[in-house]
Amino acid sequence: MLKQKANANEAEMALTNQVTITAVDSENSRFSELSTGLAEIRKLKGVLGYILRSDSSAIIDFPESDKIIENATLSYQIHESCLAIEKQFNLGGLESVLVEGENVKVLCISVGENKISVFMEKNVTHSRIIKRILM
Amino acid sequence: MTEDYSTALQTIINEFKNVSPEITGTFIFKKDGEIVASTETNTDEQIRKLVSALNEIADRAANMGSIETLTIQGAKSQLTITSMNNRYLVNVSSHAADEKVVKTLTNVIVPTVARLVDQISELSHNTPPPQPKISEVKSIEEVAVPKEEITQSEPIPDMSESFGSEPMLPEPPVNQFMIEKIGGLLVPSDIVRLDSEVIAKWHDIYGDKEIKLVHIETLEGKAILCGFKPFKEPSQNGKGIIQFPERVMEALQTSKGKLVVVKPEITR
Repeated sequence: MLKQKANANEAEMALTNQVTITAVDSENSRFSELSTGLAEIRKLKGVLGYILRSDSSAIIDFPESDKIIENATLSYQIHESCLAIEKQFNLGGLESVLVEGENVKVLCISVGENKISVFMEKNVTHSRIIKRILM
Repeated sequence: MTEDYSTALQTIINEFKNVSPEITGTFIFKKDGEIVASTETNTDEQIRKLVSALNEIADRAANMGSIETLTIQGAKSQLTITSMNNRYLVNVSSHAADEKVVKTLTNVIVPTVARLVDQISELSHNTPPPQPKISEVKSIEEVAVPKEEITQSEPIPDMSESFGSEPMLPEPPVNQFMIEKIGGLLVPSDIVRLDSEVIAKWHDIYGDKEIKLVHIETLEGKAILCGFKPFKEPSQNGKGIIQFPERVMEALQTSKGKLVVVKPEITR
């Protein structure tokens, strides 16, 4: 299932295709660049899906629609909790977070106001994903 | 949680700074938040907030399975949380720290010690304390021996024969390694590759005893016996890794990056 930021027309069209659409933020060109890059990363073997969100927009792409809400909540919590930890331990500003679970791992990066979470299988080399996001 | 346990882990994390001065703080806490060991650099407030933040993530991470590691890269430093059985190890280090050293300490050394202390603790709990036999408890008068009998004491029998002529072999040393995957057409599917220095130590311990197999066990309890060879490249020595072909990984239902306990299989 794909939730994608788009212009108003695309948003309307997407709504008719039962795709949840977020608010449009045409000012945020970095968001568009990141979404293009993430769409490419999504095609890599072992990448399970991703979330890209800014203050006003969000794209969520996961094959299993039933996991979207759980993954979005987890992504938000990782960003918030790690921000709190980063401040407590004075790590010098949050660059990236990697959470490895029993089954999958999640890479979270903030690029300006945009927050990215990439869910992937544990054998995927996450450093390559970081490089591609920051390209 | 015994005091010995806490002391052992405290001793180890105190040494972290000596091994790698770039490590600025380390602590271990139980999943319920109880602090097991901590370096002086961490405040209670910091630890409390971290435990709370980690629990909030764990509460929402059902899709991922339980959290094994969490690494936060900051601009100046990085913080790593590693799950060890029922505890978490937290390590803060600057970017100047040697990643391999930090990984060896946090993913190999401390989990190994924690596991060993757990085993010792379990053994000591399962072994009942020695109880005096009632029949042996005699009054002082009964125990008192006449002076003449002392001089006529019987010679102590030689017990060495009762243990048999076979010399006692030392217990196999246990090593913990992180799994790396090897593949390719010429890679045997049932041979793992090991640190040649570790193999040499085994041969030092057991002399001319032949060691053909190693016993490998995952932290989840799956175990196999399989053949082994030293690393092809000596540069792999000392990294705390073991190389598995796909088939061995499947047999153990494990994956790259996980820890396994390895010991030589000695034919007694």
